[in-house]
Amino acid sequence: MTVNVVYFSIMAFSFRNIMTIFRRAAYSKFNTLSGSELVPSISLLVPAYNEEVTVIENVKCLMTLNYPTYEVIVINDGSSDDTLGVLRREFGLDPLPNPEMRNSIDCQTINAVYHNPQYPHLYVIDKPNGGKADSLNAGINLSHYPLISSIDADSLLEKDALIRMARMYMENPEETVAIGGDVRIANGCVIENGAVKEVSLPRKMWPMFQAVEYLKAFLGGRIGWSSINGLIIVSGAFGLFRKDYVIAVGGYRGGYPGEDMNIIIKLHRYMLENKLKYRIAFCPEAVCWTQAPDTYRILSNQRKRWGRGNLKNMIENYDMAFNPKYKVMGLLTMPYNIIFEALNPYFKITGLLALIGYTMLDMTHWRVLAVFWLINFLSGYLLSVGALLLEELAFKRFNKISDLARMMFYSAIKFFGYAQLGGLWRIQGHIQYLRNNNSWGTMTRQSWQEKSDTAKSA
Amino acid sequence: MDSHLTVAIYFVYICLGLIGAGMLLLFWLRIRSIRIDKKTELYLRKHQEYFKFIQTHLNGASDLPLPPGKLTKLERRVVQNKLIEWIGQFKGEIREKLMKLCHDAGFVRDDISLLDSLFYGRRVSAAYRLGGMRAAEAVPRMLIMLEKQSYSPLTIVIARSIAKSAERGDQLKEMLHHLLRHGKPIHNMAADILMETGLDTSGLLLKLLDDENPDFVKVALVAMWGQAVPEVVPALDRLVGAGEKDVRAEAVKLYLSSNPVLKDETIRELMADTDWEVRAAVAKSIGNLHAAGSIPLLRTALQDSNWRVRNNSAESLAKLGETGFEVLCQIAKHGSGVERETALNHVEKAMLEEAEHQKLDQMIAHNKKKLLYERYFGVSESKPVRQVAAVGGDYTA
Repeated sequence: MTVNVVYFSIMAFSFRNIMTIFRRAAYSKFNTLSGSELVPSISLLVPAYNEEVTVIENVKCLMTLNYPTYEVIVINDGSSDDTLGVLRREFGLDPLPNPEMRNSIDCQTINAVYHNPQYPHLYVIDKPNGGKADSLNAGINLSHYPLISSIDADSLLEKDALIRMARMYMENPEETVAIGGDVRIANGCVIENGAVKEVSLPRKMWPMFQAVEYLKAFLGGRIGWSSINGLIIVSGAFGLFRKDYVIAVGGYRGGYPGEDMNIIIKLHRYMLENKLKYRIAFCPEAVCWTQAPDTYRILSNQRKRWGRGNLKNMIENYDMAFNPKYKVMGLLTMPYNIIFEALNPYFKITGLLALIGYTMLDMTHWRVLAVFWLINFLSGYLLSVGALLLEELAFKRFNKISDLARMMFYSAIKFFGYAQLGGLWRIQGHIQYLRNNNSWGTMTRQSWQEKSDTAKSA
Repeated sequence: MDSHLTVAIYFVYICLGLIGAGMLLLFWLRIRSIRIDKKTELYLRKHQEYFKFIQTHLNGASDLPLPPGKLTKLERRVVQNKLIEWIGQFKGEIREKLMKLCHDAGFVRDDISLLDSLFYGRRVSAAYRLGGMRAAEAVPRMLIMLEKQSYSPLTIVIARSIAKSAERGDQLKEMLHHLLRHGKPIHNMAADILMETGLDTSGLLLKLLDDENPDFVKVALVAMWGQAVPEVVPALDRLVGAGEKDVRAEAVKLYLSSNPVLKDETIRELMADTDWEVRAAVAKSIGNLHAAGSIPLLRTALQDSNWRVRNNSAESLAKLGETGFEVLCQIAKHGSGVERETALNHVEKAMLEEAEHQKLDQMIAHNKKKLLYERYFGVSESKPVRQVAAVGGDYTA
């Protein structure tokens, strides 16, 4: 019951803000702002590990954004494939004899920084493999601008995504320490010249489940959490940060996944402990398209990794939970994440076992079991319908009625297997954590061109 | 137990009801949206001839005609949006004609009446369109709206509409007052909004520089970035010594962008400023001003705690002929720590950049620097890439 109250309250906050978001998106034209010197300069940090298939298209996409002053820093994190080679050949990059790394944050010793004066705003750092966090820290050390944006090398930004975020930053530059963007699933979309030309839902089952899951998490959850300044995560796929504060908290934490959640928790902690006024915002109209895992193996690896990262972050920061010093973060976000996210599968399993036990011992009736299962299903489905309504009210990305029907269908059937698998993967992630298994798992990439061809032919 | 079950069953019914209502609403919204999209397309096709006629007569002497026939509500909106799009693209007389057409067609009147709507959303969308139509008569009403508005992203939308439509400087100043009264440091955003106006802002910016409200001064300073005119120099002279850190930094940056003649004493004072932005701006300008007398100051600034100051100082040294370049080489060879890192980086950068120069005078300058370089570092055609130990204590952002 409590979890439903929390879920519905957060959804209510999302609904309260959605029309403002719609108007902000609809009534902001960026033709003057995207050419203005008054917009803050941004360093885009793109960690890349074995991304030879997609990296060129993504870098080209990033180099043609509607934004006045920015630089793209790709960090090749010791790829075993030809990521560095394809970048060097495509952009004619040569090593800089004396790259100026500012050493603001500890990170591994880099091998070289590559640059070509013909592409003055592109840098490629080559370093031994040290993980995503270490790569981002290396990027921060080279970056030249006061704002940094972390972007996954397998993601495509919409042309206006950065300027939309910058606009949000300019609305309150002193208090804004981080802004998260909306991550959407690109599987099924038609992609041309590094941009999504035609939005469509994925055709395969696994990405389709993730598409409805992301909608619920980003629109139903993050809009609400950010409105009470309780956002615990800015997706690693696309986020904007004040560099001075990221450096002040020691940069990204390496060694474990979940660095995107970790940096946000550290920022909350730092700002609250130093009694600084701040906000961590969410900008749903700034969209980043990403390739979702489309096989069971890759998806389960990703979710186990998330489970591991989440548990690590909760254990590292348990002192914030129920601590009034940390305001919304301490009294709501952290307890919610510990109880309803990290420990959620255990509660579900024990609850289910108890109900089955009661029924078998004739201590309760099968009807009770059915009613509680129905409550669980219907409240979850209601939240999904709410997320679809938010999407329809503010963004209208999916034009066809069949898209709507498919999303409703998948929102319902995800409670019959997919949701349970989610719990299982989380528990497996926890077991990996306890066993000190810290592997990233397999992640294969498909070129955007291939994906787009598949989408067109379908 | 039974009462709990009853509550649970009620909850199930509520959920079912809400889900049903939500689904109906979803399908209704989707169907409505598809219908609007289709009708919009239809109206755009239907009025294609009218739009073409308008486009071909934009430069003509006569007034532009109203859209033909009796238009539906959506049809009027489609035509209005097209005219707003063109008003944003054109300037001068063409824009004036399109603005007049919006008046004659009653679009301005309709949206002004919507400013009194009970629904906030309608008021904001009307204000947005009025800004698009540059409706001067709506400005007083929109100023009242802005005054009553609590700070939100939509404050920016209304302020921008006022800036676009204002016909007097005092209206812009009032807009700024309402925009900045919330105490947010949104001077860059405010300057961007201010520059949306079709009015000549030079007089207003000069007045704002002399205003006692430091927020107005900051907006004027950032709005003038890179375009300091001689008239503002007296005001800047005063503001360079302002107590408020932000104002001083912006004033110095603007002042230096006008390439002024600086006394050595002034440079020394500014390079000792407590604000790194001031030091960085001065360090950068020394190179552009070819103030070779300041080489010792730049040399010292290579040890500054701020990266930007060090970087700008090195850049300026590289611009100050052989003397400046030799200082860089000396520090790159014999210096230590961050000072050496910065110097080494800029020496290499200068050698790479200047190797591409084709003109004779540039080649001569480059060859001189090359000789200096070889004096310090020897002749080496292919230098190994230096490994940078990225562990250290530089905590400047």
